[in-house]
Amino acid sequence: MKYLPYLIATMFFAAVAACGSLEKEIDLNLPEYEPQYVVECYLEPGQPFSLLLTRSSPYFEAFPNDLQGFIENILVDSAEVLIKYQGKTHVLTNDLVLNPFTKKIFNYYNDELVPADFENDFELQITTSDGKHINATTRILPVVPIDSIVVDFDEEKDSLARVLTYLTDDPDTEDYYRRMLHRGSLDSIPEQDFTTFDDFVDNNKIVFGTGFDFEEGDTVFTTIFHIDRSYFDFLESIQFAIDANGNPFGQPSSIISNVSGDAGALGIFTGISYDRKMVLVKK
Amino acid sequence: MLRKFFFILVATHAALVLSSQNTVLPEISISGTVMAAESGETLIGATILVVENPSLGTSTNEYGFYALQMPPGQDSLTLEFSYVGYQSRFVRIFPKADITLDVELTTGVELAEVVVQANSFRESLRSTEMSIEELSTKEVKVLPAFMGETDILKTIQLKPGIPSGSEGTTGLFVRGGGSDQNLIVLDEAVVYNANHLFGFFSTFNTDAVKDLKLYKGGFPAQYGGRLSSVIDVRMKEGNNRAFHGTGGIGLITSRLTLEGPIQKEKSSFIVSGRRTYVDLFTRQINKANEDNEDYTPIPDYYFYDLNTKANFTLGEKDRLFLSGYFGQDNFGFNGDFFDFSFNWGNNTGTLRWNHVFNNQVFHNLTFTYSDYDYNIETKVTGFSFKVGSNVRDANLKSDFYYSLNSNNTLRFGGNATYHWFGVGRLKAGSDDGSVSFSGGNDFKAGSFGLYFSDEMEIGDSWKLNGGLRLSGFINEGTFAGGVEPRLAAVFSVNPNLSLKGSYARMYQYLHLVSTSGIALPTDIWYPTTKTIKPENSDQVALGWEYLLGERFLITQEFYYKRFGQQVDFVDGAHLFANNDLEAEFAIGKGYGYGMELGIEKQEGKLRGWLGYTLALVRRTGFQPVDPTRTFSGDENPYFPRYDRRHDLSLVLMFDLSKRLTISATTVYGSGDRTWLPVGRFAFQDVYGADFEPIVPVFGERNAYRLPYFFRADAGLVYRFYPKWGESDLTLSIFNLTNRRNAFFLYLEPQYQESVDPGMEPLAIPTGIKAKQVSLFPILGSITWNFKF
Repeated sequence: MKYLPYLIATMFFAAVAACGSLEKEIDLNLPEYEPQYVVECYLEPGQPFSLLLTRSSPYFEAFPNDLQGFIENILVDSAEVLIKYQGKTHVLTNDLVLNPFTKKIFNYYNDELVPADFENDFELQITTSDGKHINATTRILPVVPIDSIVVDFDEEKDSLARVLTYLTDDPDTEDYYRRMLHRGSLDSIPEQDFTTFDDFVDNNKIVFGTGFDFEEGDTVFTTIFHIDRSYFDFLESIQFAIDANGNPFGQPSSIISNVSGDAGALGIFTGISYDRKMVLVKK
Repeated sequence: MLRKFFFILVATHAALVLSSQNTVLPEISISGTVMAAESGETLIGATILVVENPSLGTSTNEYGFYALQMPPGQDSLTLEFSYVGYQSRFVRIFPKADITLDVELTTGVELAEVVVQANSFRESLRSTEMSIEELSTKEVKVLPAFMGETDILKTIQLKPGIPSGSEGTTGLFVRGGGSDQNLIVLDEAVVYNANHLFGFFSTFNTDAVKDLKLYKGGFPAQYGGRLSSVIDVRMKEGNNRAFHGTGGIGLITSRLTLEGPIQKEKSSFIVSGRRTYVDLFTRQINKANEDNEDYTPIPDYYFYDLNTKANFTLGEKDRLFLSGYFGQDNFGFNGDFFDFSFNWGNNTGTLRWNHVFNNQVFHNLTFTYSDYDYNIETKVTGFSFKVGSNVRDANLKSDFYYSLNSNNTLRFGGNATYHWFGVGRLKAGSDDGSVSFSGGNDFKAGSFGLYFSDEMEIGDSWKLNGGLRLSGFINEGTFAGGVEPRLAAVFSVNPNLSLKGSYARMYQYLHLVSTSGIALPTDIWYPTTKTIKPENSDQVALGWEYLLGERFLITQEFYYKRFGQQVDFVDGAHLFANNDLEAEFAIGKGYGYGMELGIEKQEGKLRGWLGYTLALVRRTGFQPVDPTRTFSGDENPYFPRYDRRHDLSLVLMFDLSKRLTISATTVYGSGDRTWLPVGRFAFQDVYGADFEPIVPVFGERNAYRLPYFFRADAGLVYRFYPKWGESDLTLSIFNLTNRRNAFFLYLEPQYQESVDPGMEPLAIPTGIKAKQVSLFPILGSITWNFKF
């Protein structure tokens, strides 16, 4: 809803531009860009320590022809990666690992499991092969459980339903959430994926809805991530950056990372806490 | 606190008025009002010259009033009253005692046009005013117009030093200032959002407007509240001699204006309306398709303006005006599962009392009310969502004009304003109340301004206007104020050449929350608070004016402007529905300098102007209000998007005959600046989320300049003279050369699906193309206008 006025304006301008095929390809010389390290590390209780270290590229740099080439081109090897927690150091070795369940890859890995500790900090230290440093600190947040999921059929067109997800917000804390909704499978493209926070909540109850888009027999996965401010800022800045390219109303934004150090890296080091429920749409 | 300011205001006025009553008057005073004979409308800026002594003269003020002082004991003198587009009138007077002289001028200038123009230009040469652009609706109506809609705000963009924002929009970026740094007043009431349809049309219906005056610098002390310009729009008063109507049917709107006497020659009214009518057709299309399940209804959209005004002559010394403006944009959609509406608009009201105390003192007391709000409402079964913002002002203003003697003209007065702000008001939740969201902030604030200025004649060659404005703003128990010195001087080298200079300090207590270069209805005004200090600027301008061959006025000005406490927004700012907007602000400073050159011819068969601007503006030192936030590029000065190095405009109007006028406008400008990504990275994200192969990494802020802008438009007006009045067909061709000017650029990745064994198919990028998007190709329009 917060993007609605921008959306209407964008639709208007797109419609005007589309009327006359007023788009053309041009040559563009962008300023030089020095690639940066990019870190993605998600600490999920009960899952192994894993981290993806890649590099960014100049915008117009040529792309390899296949996925393997694409991945190999961006992976950064030979870094020393340490995660410190409660006086113990977990060394993540430079191994390319594919999680067969999530289909996600990581190039630094330690098969020790992340503890479900919501009280203490985790500290990340990376030293790259060129002697640069990347540091970050995070803490895993407790799960905010989904209270209920309601499937609500439309009164007029009773073949279509919407799915409402209710949860209870803690009024004493500033909480940030990421909401995902999938139809059929978690491997599918999410029908909803956005971040929000609890600034406007009056009576501790939050509801996430959908349109009347679901038919009887559909399977719906609804996921509520409880995220911290730095992860919220990171995800929002990524969305702003993507939206601003091609949208005259967009706000270009630098990527707001929570990693620091002399490497000048981009990225996120955060805990992952979520509640996920599946519901079968039926009357 | 406000009471105290009112007291100071009243006390200051009383003291000054009393002192004026007691002043010994060694000189003869001639004063009155200059009006149009056919309508009784007062003429603003009409020239009054003493024929026997051309260095003695004045012009009517914004209320049509003039006052001229001269030594007593002279024999008869001839006064020449002139106004562009009207026959000059010569009046013989015998200055033995004070004279009140109201003069009416009639249209028709075939013989006197060169003299009238020269008088107008000579008055400009004599005046300390500089950095001013003026437009009458007469000029606007013969120039080519976008979609056939004549627009006084778009036409003023063709003058030097006033570059527009995005193509076709009404945004003004005056001497390095942002579009939020323009004070736009309609009959002295502030118009907070002077735009319809994302700025493609302004709120000013040309049929209802008398004229527009834009100050780019050298601001007179009576103006304050914005840093970069004052745009003073005056509505017509209505014909107090006979009933008339004007109107037109255009491509997207229709207009109708009715005016006439309430009591002949004593009072008049004018009502003027304009409305778009695309929605009337789209509703029919929707109705015809209501049984088609695959059909997606077209949303409703329309805007309208209604201008009303009445004025009453209460006696020889008193006139009363009451005017109102009501404008609204409405966007709505009623779907099977939800209803959506998005409305925004301005309302303004002005009640004004002009009183002539005596031949030297003229007083104007004005009460204005302004209101801008937007509301978005969505209803889905069982849930509703409302968000909106508004700003409202009630303002009492008192202005004195005191022609002290032939060497000193004083202006003094003040105003007090009460402001209401509703920022980001949100209410959402379920109908049963189990889920509820609310937010937003309300502010109530007060502001005031007190000013004094004296325009002094020093010898035959020098004229000086020195003034001081005190301004203040009270919000949340915090007071912010400023002293604003104003100084302007003119040195007449000879009757055809003047050198001018000015200095002005300005304070701005309201800040526009907007990150887009395009006017969005959701842009909201935010007051000065404990944390957000008032914006301020200092501007110095130097220039010369030269009257070439009685026909052409050549003007050149150089300016330097410093900006303080400028507002921008942090990376990833949330400006829509946010309870803590101040955390999104970044505060910095800036500077701009440039040169403007103009040559203008106002009368004759061939009229027009040529304007060129060379300018630079930079902003620097921005720091987030919330230190945990970031502002990209804060380490380096950067160019704002509207930094336009060169801007050239040529405007020509030519009367081929009494029936046929042709016109052309040409604009060339350096491209606006834009902020583009220079790098990219791949973002894998968590399980369940999309893999994003290209996340842009933006480089230096606004480092890239769009290709140059060029547009040529042509227009033609063919007039008919039927028995019942006049009519014309106005043809406009917009973007004659069909040039594709860049609206924005973007970088489009090209993808192919991966087929790697053992992996899910994944879209991987294969290349990137740079694309330029333009808005308008060549567009033709025709409008039928009538007058009876």
